[in-house]
Amino acid sequence: MKTFEEKWTAWLDGELSGKELAEFEASLPDKAAAEAEKRDAKKLGALLKRELGAQALTNEEFFSHQLRERIARESAEPSRERDIAVSTWWTIRRLFWTGTASLAVFLIFAVFVMREKNPAEQSQYLSQILNARVDPVVSPNATISMFEAKGDRVTVLWTEGLQSLPADYAAK
Amino acid sequence: MLRSILLFTALVALVMNAAPGLRAAEAVWSGLVIAENVAQPEPIPPELTRIEGPLKQLFGYNQFQVIGQSSKTLKTGEEDWLATSKYFALHVDARGESEAGYVLNLKLYKEKELLLETDTKLSKRSPLVIKGPQVGGGQLLLVLVVQ
Repeated sequence: MKTFEEKWTAWLDGELSGKELAEFEASLPDKAAAEAEKRDAKKLGALLKRELGAQALTNEEFFSHQLRERIARESAEPSRERDIAVSTWWTIRRLFWTGTASLAVFLIFAVFVMREKNPAEQSQYLSQILNARVDPVVSPNATISMFEAKGDRVTVLWTEGLQSLPADYAAK
Repeated sequence: MLRSILLFTALVALVMNAAPGLRAAEAVWSGLVIAENVAQPEPIPPELTRIEGPLKQLFGYNQFQVIGQSSKTLKTGEEDWLATSKYFALHVDARGESEAGYVLNLKLYKEKELLLETDTKLSKRSPLVIKGPQVGGGQLLLVLVVQ
């Protein structure tokens, strides 16, 4: 069972017919006023459809519209990337190269320091006695030894049994 | 950016490789020293200050006097020189330079008599001390230091 409002809306839209139309129009208290309202409603509907309704696009227009939107979207993306690049110095690429450079510098310093502190090469920084000899005729019982006082970095050639000399030989 | 990093890295490597080779002309001080024990020792000569501790500890004397000395600036590493006192002479013959220091031939003469001969590598960081003959109550020491 339709309400009056439903029947009224259907009547305005011209959807009532036959017996139902006759009964509804008979139930109207002022048919002339209702007819005037129906005309106004139709005019308003036509006006709204004309002014607000979506314009149907042809195939060509739709294709052009899609293209324009895509071009606009793609041209906007690089500028957005540029904005990001400008806004921060530490891009991934720069971080990568900075890291690589830091590592290279560290390795150079590490190699340099390790070469300095290599225990196997430490002795080259102490003086060394390559060989030593005394005159066997002058000092037949002389002996020679050598050692390094590593704490003080002093290298000593130690002789024993050299000919002793009088105190006069200490003269300048 | 990449070129800058490579350039910087190469520069650092170059400087670090070149650094050990940049040896300025260095002076070798050679001295004839008499070590003695005396009641009132005189202050140690300035040339021996840096090895005062080991000298006293190793040889057991409380006074060290320089009776002859010579300081030679090495430019080619092939120079030779003499440090003399009244009776002793120390002939130092530099026979080349290495990364570690100088190769030296040392000869100790008593007047014209050769007492001792040795070949050494003298390091800049490591003084060389040679115990010579007993002289009176003391001891003759030969000291070589790169200054």
